[in-house]
Amino acid sequence: TQETLLVESEEHFQQSLAEALVEETSVTVNVRLAKSFPLPIENDESRPRIDLVVFIINLTSELSFQSAEASLKYLEPGYFLGKVCFMVTNARSSSVPAERLDAVRRLAASLHCPLLFAEEQTPQGVTNAAERLLTILKAAAGFVPFTTPLYLSNLTRCTLPPDIDQPSFD
Amino acid sequence: MLTQHKQLAQLQTRCQTPEEDMQSFRNFPAPSSSSGGVLWRMAHIVEENKLTLTHLAELEMIHAMENPNQGMWYTFQLLEPENDAQSVELTQFKQQFKCHLSELLRQMSVKIKKHTDEAVWIRIALGSSFSKPNHLKPTYVVHYLQTPYVFVRNLTSKLKPLLSQALTLATRHQGVKEANLSGRNLTSIRDLLMRQYQQVFPTKYRSPPEEEDQPVLNQHIEKEQGGVAAHRRHMAHQAFGDGMLPQLQSAVYMLDTKFRDPNNRTMTEREETFKCVVKFSSIDLLESLRSCASSGIASAPVTPLLSSIPLKGRNYFVVTDNTPGPSSQGHQTQN
Repeated sequence: TQETLLVESEEHFQQSLAEALVEETSVTVNVRLAKSFPLPIENDESRPRIDLVVFIINLTSELSFQSAEASLKYLEPGYFLGKVCFMVTNARSSSVPAERLDAVRRLAASLHCPLLFAEEQTPQGVTNAAERLLTILKAAAGFVPFTTPLYLSNLTRCTLPPDIDQPSFD
Repeated sequence: MLTQHKQLAQLQTRCQTPEEDMQSFRNFPAPSSSSGGVLWRMAHIVEENKLTLTHLAELEMIHAMENPNQGMWYTFQLLEPENDAQSVELTQFKQQFKCHLSELLRQMSVKIKKHTDEAVWIRIALGSSFSKPNHLKPTYVVHYLQTPYVFVRNLTSKLKPLLSQALTLATRHQGVKEANLSGRNLTSIRDLLMRQYQQVFPTKYRSPPEEEDQPVLNQHIEKEQGGVAAHRRHMAHQAFGDGMLPQLQSAVYMLDTKFRDPNNRTMTEREETFKCVVKFSSIDLLESLRSCASSGIASAPVTPLLSSIPLKGRNYFVVTDNTPGPSSQGHQTQN
């Protein structure tokens, strides 16, 4: 089985994403949902080993970004070797300030984690996001031969475009 | 519907003119646009049935009673009932009210009807010493006998003191004050004030776990912080109630307190109070506040500033600092 933990401060997209993930038939995927860290300690003993932690950030909400940033501090550093991934929604919305996307990019790049963009409002978008997440999850859970999560993360990690510090012309 | 109302009003003024005017009006060819056509047909109906102004006023009142959720309603509360206030019943109230109001005003038109839900509706059209009552802008008053609540729509400043006096005398009370609750839906503000919505009473021990929101919860999906979320939801429902909530459109807080912000020392060090007005607007304010609290956007337990909207049945608050000490974490609300 593969275990993933979806962390989202708004607790909205994670539900539909979880349902799309468990529909995968070739392997059993278990999904745990949380709003933020720290997780309740009552669950510590019953919680299985997590293969992938996904931070879902809604770009239209500053609170969502800050909550994800604050939660990062509680995560054991060992997870950052390929078992953490960032997923961002509403990147195309016009109300998103460019600085926020840049800040998320810098955060993902500094932690060497992949950054995925998802479209949550259509069922097709949710399915696509789930599929891409599953490929990373398979590698993170060790189901892909000759690949470790660290190796994959080196290939998929977010990189900053060279002109990120220059003002954009939007 | 609005244009039809205007046309009805125009017809009302027309009815005061003699028959010849109606005749000449009917002689015009029927206009092609639909609104003109409605006006023409209504003029025809009015003339055929020999409707008078009183009939039209009655029609308008019936319409208003069937559609109470229009316009802006303001609430008043009757104070200090006399000993026999509880025994005031409809005929006595009607007679006393009309009598008192006609003592105070010469030119006016008052109609009183009882609605099926025990509410007494009063329609008042005011004139002055020079003119007949203005039926275009009537004031509506709704009162539930044996309760101290009165709801008013379209009150003019001229009518206000006279209405207060007539109401207090007719209901055997000694005064009336503003109840600080206003809204577009009469049914909602009535339900809020008289607590006729589904409430959750505070319990010390949590009741057996309620049904899950998603009863078909997938066995592969598990919530880490389900307990915390359920607790938040419970507290939000305690503050605001279960099920359908009365619809309010706004809540206004007039703040007259000292500025408090640890990040802004210049403002905090000022001696005088900081006056500002905070207004919350929404299509359905209580529902949005409840979902803010249960989703964690508003901190739980719900601050008494917000929970006193349904608790005290008001949406206009004046907030001052009652206690100057540092222990006052929030602000005290004043009645």
